[in-house]
Amino acid sequence: MNKVAGIKFAAPVADLNEYKNVFVFLETREDKLMRPALEMIGVGKRMAEKVNEKLVCVLLGGDIKDQAKEAVSYGCDIVLGAESPVLSTYRTLPYSHIIADFVRQEKPNIFLIPATRNGRDLASRIAVSCQAGVTADCTELDIEQDTRILSANRPTYGESMLAEILCRKHRPQMATARPGIFPVPEKIKAHKGEIRIKEVTVDKSMLKKEVLEFRKKEVVDLTAAKVVVSGGMGLGKPQGFKLIGDLASELDGVVGATRPAVDMGWITRDHQVGQTGQTVRPRLYLAVGISGKIQHIMGMKNSETIISVNTDPNAEITKYSDYVITEDLYKAVPVLLEEIKKLKKSPPPLAQEASSTPAQ
Amino acid sequence: MTLEIIVLVKQVPDSQEVVIDPVTMNLNRSLTRNVTNRADENALEAALQIKDRTDAHVTVVSMGPPQAETTMIECLARGADRAILASDRFFGGADTYPTGLTLAATIKAIGKFDIIFAGEETSDSSTGHVGPGVAEFLDIDQITYASKVEYEDGFVTAERELEDGTEVVKVPTPVLVTVLLNSNVPRRQTLRRKIDAIRQGFESWDHDKVGLQPEWVGVRGSPTIVRKMRPIKEKERAAKKVDIAGIPDLVKELYQKGVIKVESE
Ligand SMILES: Cc1cc2nc3c(=O)[nH]c(=O)nc-3n(C[C@H](O)[C@H](O)[C@H](O)COP(=O)(O)OP(=O)(O)OC[C@H]3O[C@@H](n4cnc5c(N)ncnc54)[C@H](O)[C@@H]3O)c2cc1C
Ligand SMILES: Nc1ncnc2c1ncn2[C@@H]1O[C@H](COP(=O)(O)O)[C@@H](O)[C@H]1O
Repeated sequence: MNKVAGIKFAAPVADLNEYKNVFVFLETREDKLMRPALEMIGVGKRMAEKVNEKLVCVLLGGDIKDQAKEAVSYGCDIVLGAESPVLSTYRTLPYSHIIADFVRQEKPNIFLIPATRNGRDLASRIAVSCQAGVTADCTELDIEQDTRILSANRPTYGESMLAEILCRKHRPQMATARPGIFPVPEKIKAHKGEIRIKEVTVDKSMLKKEVLEFRKKEVVDLTAAKVVVSGGMGLGKPQGFKLIGDLASELDGVVGATRPAVDMGWITRDHQVGQTGQTVRPRLYLAVGISGKIQHIMGMKNSETIISVNTDPNAEITKYSDYVITEDLYKAVPVLLEEIKKLKKSPPPLAQEASSTPAQ
Repeated sequence: MTLEIIVLVKQVPDSQEVVIDPVTMNLNRSLTRNVTNRADENALEAALQIKDRTDAHVTVVSMGPPQAETTMIECLARGADRAILASDRFFGGADTYPTGLTLAATIKAIGKFDIIFAGEETSDSSTGHVGPGVAEFLDIDQITYASKVEYEDGFVTAERELEDGTEVVKVPTPVLVTVLLNSNVPRRQTLRRKIDAIRQGFESWDHDKVGLQPEWVGVRGSPTIVRKMRPIKEKERAAKKVDIAGIPDLVKELYQKGVIKVESE
């Protein structure tokens, strides 16, 4: 007996060997593959190859034939697709039902889903539906060769520790993977894959959620930026982001922000860096008027060079900084801006040793 | 007809003062203050705002150890009508699966529900998986990452904040809604209400009362286990001090190191 009033507990599977291959969910918007989808292909492929299994990409949408081919070109071995006009917009119920059925039919050993908002919306519904274990927001993923056990690693305790989480007796072994961590794979020209798309009719009962509107915003892809200049509450006013924007554009970079600055409405949410924003790893990260609370740090600490501008020398950001400018940002940033302009006008010759850093 | 609203709240260690035991690498709970998960305060506020305008009854539900009592009383003092703490030693060590299962079973045992609110995620587990898990156990629709939640005539309309835009959705009840941190301003607890709340008290339910077998819940009912913990090695950074007068040299140094480039990339 494993049911109480329709509620199933997580029963272990009888035969682990029945479960094979690595599933990844390809997130789309208006049928276009999103960057996290490609990241999942990269990390999924690596694991599938390690144990000689296939990478199976799950793709739902209105018209997805081209996207299926694109997925194959990035390394996908099998595309499992479901097509219906009502699937061009993500909705929890039809997506989770269709995908849970795929899982029950195909019995994957591993299933990776991006830890984006829709990815998280979906992942634990599938896990519960399939009585599987799921580890959230992983930043390192690997598979043990002999046991085919997924090693799912996620930061915990305010990012100070990495927890390794295993799921030994339940299948599939599911994980959501943090966007911006796993690299997008190179396209493989000659790669061949099998595309299995079926047309589906979705039951009306699943379509009660009406999507009234989608207000797309100009998305700044912070994750791909080489330079990020971020502003925080130290700016003191929304106009402060003008200064941040000037510095960012002078450096060919993009503007980032802390969550409270976003919550204040000083800048839109797509600029947010951190635990609940984007994870960036640029060549240069400038933190201006940012205290360096852990939720922000976790989104930027892997940047190559970090410079902070903060009036408080003891701000937490200091210990994450290569250079610390302990000054009022409204004094320091204009000087920075001026010096960079000067430099660009008449760049001094590059010293010999330094030119070993190849120009990009 | 009274609208039945459930709010899922969890007590968490105060993230501002997390203390890790250097020997066991575990959270030192005795040194850490416990607070209500902040996004759950926003979830409760979203429920209370509906109650301000509609005939509604708000029940907060939590799974946690007995010390979560303070969170239960706090929620009542903010305006909830009833508080139930699913508390049992068998519930301990649960991953998201049995957590969702226990909360869903508790809600089923309560009986009727129209809207279930949860926070977007907790500050200690930060999975965001529990809310959708509960919705799956109860076989109802969901709206995650919601701001601006409104209820009218059997429908919930909300804005979902996604990475690349805002989606406006409308869903008939019953529905589970996860609410974004800071999406509203939680009302304060008044002293009067606090006294009433203490007098009223909360209910504590064990596995039997919830209707679950010990082996389905807590650590035994969890598909996942933590194999090990290791500290995340941070890159050592020099934190070299630079004053205003030093900025020209800093810019030159960064240029020489290839950190600042003069040509577009
Ligand atoms: C669940 C959860 C998720 C979160 N997710 C995120 C996230 O994704 N991203 C994020 O950023 N935060 C996030 N936060 C919030 C985070 O905890 C901090 O509150 C936030 O990062 C602080 O932002 P801040 O540095 O801009 O503001 P503050 O902490 O207020 O710091 C402002 C800094 O500016 C300095 N300053 C003031 N005036 C000047 C001046 N004139 N010149 C120079 N410096 C000055 C001050 O010394 C101070 O250090 C989250 C919180 C929670 C609970
Ligand atoms: N033990 C719990 N008791 C009550 N609600 C919980 C519990 N754990 C999680 N939740 C709810 O689920 C949301 C998401 O939690 P999490 O999946 O842990 O990030 C929280 O904001 C709460 O609303």
